[in-house]
Amino acid sequence: MPRWGMVIDVKRCIACWGCTIACKEEHFLPPGVFFNRVLIGETGKFPTSSKLIYPILCNHCEDAACVEACPTGATYVREDGIVAIDESKCVGCRACMIACPYQQRTYYDEKAKNQEYFPGQGKTEMEVIGEKLYPFTLGTVIKCNFCSERIDDGMKKGLTPGKDEDATPACVNICPVGARVFGDLDDPNSEINRLIMEKKGKQLRKEFGTEPAVYYID
Amino acid sequence: MNDNHQNLVETMFPSDGSGIKPYEWMISPTRQRQWIDDKGVFLWLAFFFSEIGAGMYFMSLFYSFRPGIVIGWLITLVLGGIIHMLYLGNPKRAWRMLMRPNTSELSRGIWIIGVFAVLGFLQIIIPGGFNMVFNFIMGILCLLIISHGFATMNVIRALPAWSSTIVLPLSLISGIWVGQQLLQFVFVLSGNSAMVSGMEVWSATFFLIYFLCIGLYAWGTWHMSDVAKMSIRKMLEGDLKRITLIGVGVLAVLVPLIFTLIMWGGNTNGFLVFLRLASVLAGDLAIRYLIMKTAVYNPLL
Amino acid sequence: MTYKTDEIWEDKWVNTTCGVCYCGCGAKVRVVNGVPVKIEGIKETTMGGTNAGLCGKGVAGLMYYHDPNRIKKPMLRTNPEKGIGVDPKWKEIEWEEAYDIITTKMKKIMEDDPNKILFTNQTMRASDGPHNHPYFYAQAFGVKNNGNFIIGGGSLHCGNACHMLGGLIHGAWSIAPDWRYTKYVLKWGSSKGTGSGHSAMTNARLRADAVRRGIKEIVFDPMGNFAGGKATEWLAILPGTDAAVGLAIANYIVNIRGEMDILYLKAKTNFVYLIKEDGTYMRHEKSDKPLVYDTKDGKIKEYDDTSAAWEDLALDGEYEYNGEKVRPCFVPFKEHLKQFTVEWAAEISTVPAAKILEVAKGWVDNAQIGSTITIEGKTFPYRPVSSVTFRGSQGHTNGIHQVAAIDLMAQLVGAEDVPGGTLGWPAIRRAYPGGHYEQTCTVGTDGVIVPSVFYSHDPWPVHAPTYPATNMGCVDVWTHCTLSHIPYVEEVDYIHEKLGMKSKPEMIFGISANFVISNSDWDTAVKNFKDCFVVQNDLWINETDQAIGDLILPDVSYLEKDCWSSEIDAFFFSGSPSYEDWYVHLQKPVAKPIGESRFFMDVYLEVAHRVGVLDKFNAKLNDYYGIKDPDLQIKPGEKLTWKEIGERVLRWVYGPDKEKIEEQGYATWHKPIEDVYWRWEIDSRCPVYMEYLIHDRRALEKIFEETGFDYKKLEMDLDQYTPLPTWFWPESHKDLDSEYDLLAFSYRDILHTNNTTFQNPYVDEVSKMCPYTFTITLNTTMAKERGFKDGDIICIENKYGVKEKGIVKTMEAQSPKVIGIAGQGGLWADGRPIAKGKGANFCKLLPSKLKYFDPVAGNMETAVAVKIYKA
Repeated sequence: MPRWGMVIDVKRCIACWGCTIACKEEHFLPPGVFFNRVLIGETGKFPTSSKLIYPILCNHCEDAACVEACPTGATYVREDGIVAIDESKCVGCRACMIACPYQQRTYYDEKAKNQEYFPGQGKTEMEVIGEKLYPFTLGTVIKCNFCSERIDDGMKKGLTPGKDEDATPACVNICPVGARVFGDLDDPNSEINRLIMEKKGKQLRKEFGTEPAVYYID
Repeated sequence: MNDNHQNLVETMFPSDGSGIKPYEWMISPTRQRQWIDDKGVFLWLAFFFSEIGAGMYFMSLFYSFRPGIVIGWLITLVLGGIIHMLYLGNPKRAWRMLMRPNTSELSRGIWIIGVFAVLGFLQIIIPGGFNMVFNFIMGILCLLIISHGFATMNVIRALPAWSSTIVLPLSLISGIWVGQQLLQFVFVLSGNSAMVSGMEVWSATFFLIYFLCIGLYAWGTWHMSDVAKMSIRKMLEGDLKRITLIGVGVLAVLVPLIFTLIMWGGNTNGFLVFLRLASVLAGDLAIRYLIMKTAVYNPLL
Repeated sequence: MTYKTDEIWEDKWVNTTCGVCYCGCGAKVRVVNGVPVKIEGIKETTMGGTNAGLCGKGVAGLMYYHDPNRIKKPMLRTNPEKGIGVDPKWKEIEWEEAYDIITTKMKKIMEDDPNKILFTNQTMRASDGPHNHPYFYAQAFGVKNNGNFIIGGGSLHCGNACHMLGGLIHGAWSIAPDWRYTKYVLKWGSSKGTGSGHSAMTNARLRADAVRRGIKEIVFDPMGNFAGGKATEWLAILPGTDAAVGLAIANYIVNIRGEMDILYLKAKTNFVYLIKEDGTYMRHEKSDKPLVYDTKDGKIKEYDDTSAAWEDLALDGEYEYNGEKVRPCFVPFKEHLKQFTVEWAAEISTVPAAKILEVAKGWVDNAQIGSTITIEGKTFPYRPVSSVTFRGSQGHTNGIHQVAAIDLMAQLVGAEDVPGGTLGWPAIRRAYPGGHYEQTCTVGTDGVIVPSVFYSHDPWPVHAPTYPATNMGCVDVWTHCTLSHIPYVEEVDYIHEKLGMKSKPEMIFGISANFVISNSDWDTAVKNFKDCFVVQNDLWINETDQAIGDLILPDVSYLEKDCWSSEIDAFFFSGSPSYEDWYVHLQKPVAKPIGESRFFMDVYLEVAHRVGVLDKFNAKLNDYYGIKDPDLQIKPGEKLTWKEIGERVLRWVYGPDKEKIEEQGYATWHKPIEDVYWRWEIDSRCPVYMEYLIHDRRALEKIFEETGFDYKKLEMDLDQYTPLPTWFWPESHKDLDSEYDLLAFSYRDILHTNNTTFQNPYVDEVSKMCPYTFTITLNTTMAKERGFKDGDIICIENKYGVKEKGIVKTMEAQSPKVIGIAGQGGLWADGRPIAKGKGANFCKLLPSKLKYFDPVAGNMETAVAVKIYKA
């Protein structure tokens, strides 16, 4: 069984937000909900300051704080390492949201559902069809699922996640600078393991001990 | 065009000190919102009621005072429980929260409350329920419930202001102190002035410990880390500054202190006990509000 | 969280071309149950990012289709009063009525003088519509020299000097580093590879691979944001002072280090041409060709005399020709450079002298002069250093000298159109196998390259300034203004009167330009154009439409467009500049047009038909594509739709593969390596010594004297017409004083294309999460000293009392002497509610006066001296 993971090359990233918006389209996310974001910061002082750009998403941690906090078992780690949510079990206590050190979870409630991309002008055809095609359950917590439906469907068709577009997360496909690499952390010969080794991949806030599956290289 | 700028300023640079600048989200220390903002206030109230109810139950055990455990039991389960349900996104599925006691602090809490509900009910209805064993078990359960809210918050490693052990003494004493104050007031209502007067020594003691624990929490959090320090700093900024000064300074500390001094040595007065209780309730709510509102996450960069 | 597939009865992907900026990346759109729901790139293409990569705004392009604010019927103004803040009182009318109004007006004007019609075009819609065709459309009406255009969007800030030198040096519109082979890149006010510029995502992909390979990228920029923030090293520079640093580096190369690619200078530049005392070429009395001195034969010869070997041509010395003293123009050039020391440049630019020196050394060290590289069995000179610029550095009154100085470095080490150096976009487009339409550059007079296609008049041969002016832009007089024209300024009436431009504009016709708010001072723009009858094809009612528009026609967005021509002739600024195969994308409709919207090209054809110029336009199309097949030619009297025209042109261009290409949405074929690295393949010379400017100056002085045009009073600096790249202070710097002590500048945010993207809710949402996109940036320390903090609303005011409000955001990575504003915010059109009130408008702060324009290339000064205070 693979353990899916991602490497994000911060050196390549130019903060175009393609991942963020592609993810919104892929999952028909309403306004204000993000499964992918770009953190833009600065460090140092003029004239030697530098810009920090970190695209972030759910880290699909091996020892996920959210899974630990979930009182119902709605949030769980799949065999392939993807942290998933069974919305039929979620009571909406948001303990997972509080527990996630990366703040990658969103509570889907009436307020989120009723947002319109063109406020006060009604929902667009896309928003309407999105609610039918990719429905969320009110009162539950949602988050990035590593596009598990793409991975599952793709693998059924014999495709390889990380190599074949149709089996790879949308944010990886869209990245115009190839800053995202997806693959199997358990496969010592995978491209992502090579990058992690060669470029000394770092996990965000490793000290929380959650063992993220997303690594950053620069 | 001025209004539009103002709107944008409010979105991007909220000025009340409690908001989050969207571009600083998780880049600077970022405030937790789920457990206090919007529907999150229910959780604040739910924790408060379950805990003070358990506090009252706990204190009533020492006096074998059946009305006290009944009221405590009701506050914890009915007030605390209903408000908890209001908070949940899918309250009909609440039973599922019993599923993960091995990992989830929340799940454990639900179990404890469940056991408390059953055993408490038995203690209430069984004549001679106030025996040593029953009292001991119920006492432990009460203390677990009192510390439940904070215990749930305490396990969150990413929120330094909650994750230190110094929140536990404050959590325990606040439940006991407020529960004791409730009980003293019930005694006032029941006209048992000797009991009211006799309890005052506990009032003074618990207040002193409570006061010290507040100080310990503030001091300890301030010195823990830069991010934790920011939590304390946030209490002194913007709109929260008023809550800190009036809620904590005046209602939680100054008013109870003055009334306790007035009633020193058992010189109690029913009306003053009532006023002190009101002040303590408001003050304790303020402290809990501030602790929840100012918890900030370690930034990611 | 998963798909409910039982709800899907149709699910398809349509290949098309992204239309959100002018780059035209390959894009495919997912359509579910008839609704476009997702955009991705096309994996195979070289036009776009890595694999199927697209940038955020490209992905967000869906919202152009879904926006409920799109106009759905022609909108007619009923309030005759025009201006900013005046309600036009729109009335919806039928198309037939709209056509009637347009044709009646046009016919009347045409009887009198077609030059009274102005056409608009806008850079944002370059890939979102046919590129070049609006230009010959105007010509069909009788407008000459593309002089009657107002460019919206990118507007007057567009790259005149860059296009001019791009054309003269590379036969192309713009330049990029050869990311595949370079090692050392200098970027001057350019974000190539980090988000903007032509072929933005193609460059971003190539750059990402290059930085991973370990290249050094040094960015000179007032702020360390998109380009600077990603650079190996960012050097804070004051706007408009790049030329000083460039000249100091050139001086280091020539006079201090003395290491140059001598063979390149002798073979590929005009430095060997002999000049007279007055600086002009000594020409052969019969052939009129410039002369060179052959040191081997000891003889003066015509420059292209094959008996003289390149290495024998003289770069120095003094000779006599027909009794007159002559010398290679390299001699005065070398002498001229000596004044530009690094200390002097540091003083002007605020870049520390030591840093300039370090960069100069790095440049020469990395240039590997004399080295060669063999790629696919072909050997080329290898010069892995590249110096590129675009709108940032050229947008100043000294624009032409800025660009020339930056180009100079590459000339001196021979790093032009060779592996590792600076590349133009392809100057050559070979025909698709089995098809026609080949465009190759030629070599013109004096050995200078003539681009195969150039939107606007060709940069070479330079035509001498003449008068009377025959078009609004007075291109006859300012002959180097490639795209954006000078005279749309306060003094327009005076300029036109003196230069003999008689036709006062009566009508404006074109596509979604927002020139009222995107050029310069808004009031001047309104004053200059409000008396015209303004017809625009637009998606929304934008600010220009609301202020002065009379009739706004609902256009289709790129998602509803069937446009075969979007990229077909744009090879010289679109596509991959690198050695990669050709990809030319078509625009295929992914959904039906919104409301009664119609593709503007079909509207153009209908109007041309009704006005009676359709045959002329069709003839121009036949001519442009060189259609020889009589079956495919459009015949007189034929009235075709744009799609029907496409059927013929595509057959001509792609031959038997037409259907296949239409089916897959793009054409691809091999680009020969010699077409990329063509410098030594084509016998041409770069006019680094700008001799033509001496003649231009003489002609202008004569015109001004004869017409009484008081250029001195208008503060037009004719001294800039000098052949040697020289330092001139930009006008904005001259305005600095103790009160107006900051220079405001603007920059491209990767999320935005001019102002249309401000109306996109996806883009809007993430823009709010960016610290700088919707704010005005100040250096942290400077802001603190002046008492400003994040979130303060400030007022920026220029010397002419024009004010703009905005929100402060401090950043360390910005020069303390400047303030930065992203793109074109500060919008207020009621028809674009998402855009309304976002960001600040920089353009309005730019004074609209002749003295703020580069007198040679026509670049507007895009920095401005301002003061700031709390609003």
